[in-house]
Amino acid sequence: MRLLLAEDDPELTRQVVACLEKAGHEVACYERGDEALAAAVQKAFDVVILDVNMPGMNGFQVVEEMRAKEEIVPVIFLTARDGVVDRVRGLTAGGDDYLTKPFAMEELLARIDVQLRRAQQSGTGQRRIGEWFLDTRQRRLRKANGEGVDLQPRECALLELLLDHPGRTLTKKFLLDKVWNIRFDPGTNVVDAMVCRLRRKLDVPGHTTSIQTVRGKGYVFKAAP
Amino acid sequence: MFSKLLPERLPSTWRLALLQCITIATSIALCLTLAGMALRSDLETISRRILLDDLGEYSSVYEMAGLEGISRMFVSGRHENNEGVRVTSADGTIVYRECLSNPELGFPWPALTSLRKLPEVKGVKAIEHPGKQPHILIGRVFLPDGKLLWHGRTNESDRGYIEHINLYLWYAGVAAALIALVPIFWYAGEVLQPVRSMIASALALARGSGRERLVASSAVPELREFAAAFNTVLDRNEELTGELQAANDQLAHELRTPLARIRGNMEAFHDSVSEPAARDSAARALDEIDRASSLVQTILTVRAGEHQALALHREPLSIRDLLTDIVDLYTISAEDRGVVMKLDVPEDRTLMIDQQRLTQAIANLLDNALTYTPSEGSITVRCEMGEAECIIHVEDTGPGVKPGEEENIWMRFVRGSAASAKSPGMGLGLSLVRAVATAHGGAAGVNNRPGGGADFWISLPSGA
Repeated sequence: MRLLLAEDDPELTRQVVACLEKAGHEVACYERGDEALAAAVQKAFDVVILDVNMPGMNGFQVVEEMRAKEEIVPVIFLTARDGVVDRVRGLTAGGDDYLTKPFAMEELLARIDVQLRRAQQSGTGQRRIGEWFLDTRQRRLRKANGEGVDLQPRECALLELLLDHPGRTLTKKFLLDKVWNIRFDPGTNVVDAMVCRLRRKLDVPGHTTSIQTVRGKGYVFKAAP
Repeated sequence: MFSKLLPERLPSTWRLALLQCITIATSIALCLTLAGMALRSDLETISRRILLDDLGEYSSVYEMAGLEGISRMFVSGRHENNEGVRVTSADGTIVYRECLSNPELGFPWPALTSLRKLPEVKGVKAIEHPGKQPHILIGRVFLPDGKLLWHGRTNESDRGYIEHINLYLWYAGVAAALIALVPIFWYAGEVLQPVRSMIASALALARGSGRERLVASSAVPELREFAAAFNTVLDRNEELTGELQAANDQLAHELRTPLARIRGNMEAFHDSVSEPAARDSAARALDEIDRASSLVQTILTVRAGEHQALALHREPLSIRDLLTDIVDLYTISAEDRGVVMKLDVPEDRTLMIDQQRLTQAIANLLDNALTYTPSEGSITVRCEMGEAECIIHVEDTGPGVKPGEEENIWMRFVRGSAASAKSPGMGLGLSLVRAVATAHGGAAGVNNRPGGGADFWISLPSGA
């Protein structure tokens, strides 16, 4: 996928580019807001990642200009400003997602996935976990033989999120945001506990678990080979 | 000295009036005493003169008409039974006597021997009668035949006169004192009014955001000067804190970018090593970086809250849904620790609140409660709906808050003495709770519950 990254910090640019390229994306970098705007309008990108504080033009203005020029490419903000009001400002300006520094690279990748999938209108993703099929409408796990387990709303949302990003490590921060709508560290083990409950419902004892823990990073769903 | 003499809680007007009263009463008493003394001495001088005149008259009457004449004169001249006359021969025997005939007085005519010994002032001997009785003035004159005529007068009528005048003077004095109080009350009230309004202004200052200034009424120039001096100090303080805060904000803001760089590198390192110990260290480092970022964010939030600069994103939210979600978030943690979580929301209401901030504030209270509640204890999240406000209580069965610490645990970086080295926390959690509650127009506080344990609460105005 072709991505545009506008970020004025060279070190951070280097890291993000390394990570995005490793994930198979093609990245074009800009240090100034106005340059980024020109590029975003002229060339075709799949996702635009914008820093808010940039020389030339700030990220919010870039998006407003882009939207004014009917450029509908998804935009993710990358910023040191972390307030609900800043976030709302970013989203009303026309941004699609908002990520505060410092962030986990995997989280950026997950958010890019979300935007790409939304742009492609597919959205179904992998709905099979081993022998189980996930019925998101009825919030139920089913087996071919008719055996079933009910899921609680949050369990279902969490599982769906993991299935949407197979092979991608999802940070606790990202899961808390998407499943619990919480954008601060609540200091509880609610994510771990919920994953634990999901595993109890999904896994057959003695087999490798489909939701794996990556220490210090988060959780990853590995589709069965 | 004045304030020590009078009860300190008495308002200044009353103190002034009281002082004025004491002053007036003292000066009136002094005046009355002096006036009484002057009057008494004048009346005595007059009495003496009358006595001497009478003696001369008796002497000439005696010369003309003998004892008979004296008797006639005594009877005709006696007015108030307060006079007496004696005539003694040269050897001391009494030849003629007219007594002080007022029986109530019981003032005895002194014995001649003692009378002779008395000192004489201007020809008149004065006898002080013991006790409060009137005293008697006795004068003598040698009659032409060598006999001695004694004439005595008591000052009874003078005393009555003085007492009468005194009484009226006292009436006048008390009336004057009372009348003097009226202008005192009026003037003191007038003078103190600006002081009172200044006190109100200072109190508003204490509750305010730090941008308010002391306002003095223009009536009292000294107060205006005082307010100006005070405001200069406030200006300087605000300037200094402003600079400090700007530096703080800048620092917190600038910390994010380096933290992001460190995190990126640490992540890359974590992913590239296969050695389990190194991976473990990298994972821990990542955790610590996240904790540092969260701390930076909390400092910024608390700081903004302290200066009414916390921007809220208010939206209509059901308080029951909000609390249910938060309790849900902590139920598993609580179960792990053997603590029971209860939710008690008897009545739901929709409030305009910032969901993220308020969730974080209540989450901090729950996190706190979980830290201090021993296993087999319980935590109750209770919502109390009032007319004007909605109060969210987080009640635990922990040790409670030590008396005297109810206020300072809300300060930045202050942790209660119940906090142990084992329990994590920087002491910012409660500051954030209060910052969020205040930003919503509410308040936050803590009480110890009667049965033990703490009751932390956040109040939100119903209109919020």
